[in-house]
Amino acid sequence: MASFNARITMPAEAKAGEIVEIRVLVRHPMDRGGQVDAEGRIVPRKILNRLTVTYAGEPVFRYDMHTGVSANPFVSFTTRAVETGDLTFEWREDGGATFTRTARLVVT
Amino acid sequence: MSSPISPACARPEPALSRREVMAAGAAGLALAALPSSVQAAAPPALAELIARVTEGAVPERSKITFDIPQLVENGNSVDVAILVESPMTEADHVRWIHVIAEKNPFPDVARFNLTPRSGRADIRATLRLATSQKVAVVAALSGGSYVMADADIVVTLSACIDGG
Repeated sequence: MASFNARITMPAEAKAGEIVEIRVLVRHPMDRGGQVDAEGRIVPRKILNRLTVTYAGEPVFRYDMHTGVSANPFVSFTTRAVETGDLTFEWREDGGATFTRTARLVVT
Repeated sequence: MSSPISPACARPEPALSRREVMAAGAAGLALAALPSSVQAAAPPALAELIARVTEGAVPERSKITFDIPQLVENGNSVDVAILVESPMTEADHVRWIHVIAEKNPFPDVARFNLTPRSGRADIRATLRLATSQKVAVVAALSGGSYVMADADIVVTLSACIDGG
């Protein structure tokens, strides 16, 4: 997918020890497979099956998605601010494609 | 001619012929006279789906606040909020939260893997529901035990209608 569109909403900075909420919204059809498109063909399954989040290199959250996750999936989770660093969000799509985004959290 | 319900959303059982439906109808009349325990043994098996993720353990109903609308107008996108009471320390934290929708074509809907660094076990997400059903949330705690919560949801528009 050429235009992978992810919106990550989180505070830019936080106090050490504070729990920050991170909200992630992605544009993706999450084709569950089996639907019939306009030309009458069966659409194969193609979903984002995993979102892995690391914070300064340490894994902090992983979201395993199956066909029961909506199109344009939204997820929100929390993490404790420990050090200034990048949060890396990596999505894995059926077929092996991956998409990565980063967001920086400054800890004061 | 195609049905608006896509084949992938059908339950795995083979389709019934008209003759079988008639026979089942007659059998149903007979079945109605039986005690309800006989009918309760029928397919859904949410307990079985839960046992599969907990490796057989029966989770206790506690600690989870499961927020999901009771009446869902559109099963294509259902907002859920899950909060598990836990200090989220190294010694006592939630390892994962698993969502099961027993009547979805694939009942395992989502799993959220947490760590002590999560700070709170507080998740929101958007899911798909194929039909009105009981949705269960199972959380695995670091001590090896499991807790769960469930909710009965009425879905007016299934996520299995094409174009959704």
